[in-house]
Amino acid sequence: MAGGGCVTLRGAQIRDLLDSKHDVLFDCDGVIWNGETAVTGAPEVVSLLKQRGKRVFFVTNNCTRPRENYVQKFSRLGFTDVAEEEIFSSAYCSAAYLRDVARLQGKVYVIGCGGVMKELRDAGVPVAEEEDAEPGASIYTCPLDPDVKAVLVGYDENFTFMKLAKACCYLRSPECLFLATDPDPWHPLTGGRVTPGSGSLTAALETASSRKATVIGKPSRFMFECISSQFGLDPARSLMIGDRLETDVLFGSNCGLTTVLTLTGVSTLQEALAYRDSQEPQQKHCAPDYVMESVADFLQALEE
Amino acid sequence: MAASKCTQLTAALSRQLLDSVDCVLFDCDGVIWRGDQVIPGAPEVVSSLKKNGKQVFFVTNNSTKTRQMYADKLGKLGFDATADEVFGTAYCSAVYLKNVCKLDGKVYLIGSNAMRQELEDVGIRPVGVGPDPVSGGQKDWADVPLDKEVQAVLVGFDEHFSYMKLNRALQYLCNPACQFVGTNTDTRLPLEGGKAVPGTGCLLKAVETAAQRQAQVVGKPSSFMFECVASQFGLNPERCLMVGDRLDTDIMLGSNCGLKTLLTLTGVSTVAEAEANQKSECPLQQKMVPDYYIGSIADILPALQA
Repeated sequence: MAGGGCVTLRGAQIRDLLDSKHDVLFDCDGVIWNGETAVTGAPEVVSLLKQRGKRVFFVTNNCTRPRENYVQKFSRLGFTDVAEEEIFSSAYCSAAYLRDVARLQGKVYVIGCGGVMKELRDAGVPVAEEEDAEPGASIYTCPLDPDVKAVLVGYDENFTFMKLAKACCYLRSPECLFLATDPDPWHPLTGGRVTPGSGSLTAALETASSRKATVIGKPSRFMFECISSQFGLDPARSLMIGDRLETDVLFGSNCGLTTVLTLTGVSTLQEALAYRDSQEPQQKHCAPDYVMESVADFLQALEE
Repeated sequence: MAASKCTQLTAALSRQLLDSVDCVLFDCDGVIWRGDQVIPGAPEVVSSLKKNGKQVFFVTNNSTKTRQMYADKLGKLGFDATADEVFGTAYCSAVYLKNVCKLDGKVYLIGSNAMRQELEDVGIRPVGVGPDPVSGGQKDWADVPLDKEVQAVLVGFDEHFSYMKLNRALQYLCNPACQFVGTNTDTRLPLEGGKAVPGTGCLLKAVETAAQRQAQVVGKPSSFMFECVASQFGLNPERCLMVGDRLDTDIMLGSNCGLKTLLTLTGVSTVAEAEANQKSECPLQQKMVPDYYIGSIADILPALQA
C-alpha cells in the first residue's frame, strides 16, 4: 500500500474494514490514551476487538518504560485484559534486535533511561556500566570499556556531553553497531507542550560520529518484524492505527499494512491531505488510507 | 589571478601572491597551531607579513575563548598579535545578535563563559550558562519557568550540555518570534594527537531537531565572519587572502566573499579532496576548491624574507 487516500470512514465501511482484518496494531500516545487519560471508548474498543476474535498489539516508540510498567498503565486506565506479550515498545524491540538479529557478542553502551536498561537486562544483553564521574575526568580522556560492541541511543533525561563524547569514541570502530530506539524529534506532553525526543539525541551522535544509526522504532520495519516473528502476521490482514503521520502511518506503509489516522493526537487532517497531494513519493507514503476522529468510532461497528 | 585553481604554491608564485594582497586572514586550528602545539614557523610568518606591511587577522569558528583569551594564547605561542585582530565566534555571535538580530533583551545561552563575557561586553544579558542537571519529572519540563525577556537562543560549544538545556532551548524556540542562532556547525573539536571531541555542530543539530527549526549560523563558511572584520577595518576582498585547512569552512568562506584562498595541509583537508571538488559538476563543491595549496604555512617564509 503505497500511500493512501485519506478516506473518512463511516458506518458500514468501518465494519467492512474490520471484517477484512485479523490483527490490529495500535500506537498508544495520542491514539488510546493521552498522558494518564484514556481516550474515551478506547478500552471498550480493545475488549470488543478481542471478543470478535481479532488479535490486538500495541506498538509504541516510547522507550521510557519496561513492558511490565505498560501493563500496569493499561490496567490503571481501564484496559482490562492487555497482556505483556501484546506490548511492543522500542525499548523491548531494541533489546530483541541486539539479542536475536545482531546476536551481540559483547556489551552495549547505552544512552537511555530506566525502561531501556530493564529491557536489555531482561533480554540478557550485557550493558556497559556507567562509572561515576571521577573528579578529574574530562571529556578529553574518557575511560573506554573494551567489551563494548554496540551503542544504543534513546531518550535520556540524564543526557550529558560526556555521554555523547564516550559514545562517539566507541563509534570510531566500524565494527561497533549503532542503534537508535526511535527517530521522534520531540514528544508531545499534555496541553500541547513538547519535550525533546530520542531523535534529537540521535542527531547529535550521528553528527559527532559521521555515521547513521540503525533505527529500531517506527517508521522502520523492525518492530513489525519483531511482532511477526512471535505471532506470524500477514500484512494484508493487518491494520495499523496511529496519530503521527511520519511515524505510525509511514510505518504501516513501509510494512504493507492498511493505515488509519486518528485525530486525537499529533497530526491533523490538513497535514494528511498535504502528504496525499504531494508530488514526492516518500511524502505520499505518509498519507493514511483512512482517517477517523477517534478510535471510539469503531464502537458502533463493534457493538452491532 | 588563477585561471586554473588548486595550484601548488611554489616560491615564485608565493612572491606573486603576496604582492597581490594587503591582508591575510588565518584560520587557527590546523593552520598556525594544533591544539596547544604551534605549527613550527607560523609565528615567524605572521611577523614577516606585518613587517611587509600586511594586515593580519585570525578567524576561528572556535567559540570557547574571548578575543583576549585568544590574544593570550597567541602571545604564549610566540605570535605577535593583539585582541582586536582576533575574530572568534564567541565575539562574532555577540556582534551578530546585536547588529543583525537587533537584540534588545536577553539571550538563552548554551555555551561557555567566554561567550557569556563577549555578550555582556556588547550589552546583551545571557541566561543559562553552566551546569543544568535535570530535576522533577517529565511533565515538569514543559513548564520550566521561561524568562520573558529572552528574545533569542544562542548555541555554541558547551561541555555542560544536557537534556535539560536542550529542553529549555526547545521551550523558548516554540515561540516563532524567538530568534535562533548557532556559532558554527563544525562536528568535531580538533585536538592534538588525533583525538577528537564532539563539536558545536552536534549540539546545534540536537536543538534544531527537537525544535524542527534551522539556526542562523555565524561561523565559517557564513560570510558574516569576513564582514565582521571588513566592516571594522575597511578591507577590499580582492586584496585579501584566506588561509585555512578546511575546504568546507575556510575555503568556502573565501569563495563566498571573493577572497583569494590558500589551503594548508597541516590540518583536516587534503589535496585529493580539493581536486575531487574541482572535477565535480556540483556548484557547491566548486566553491570548495582553493586557489593554491601549500604543505605548511611555514613554506612561504623564504618568499617573505627574500
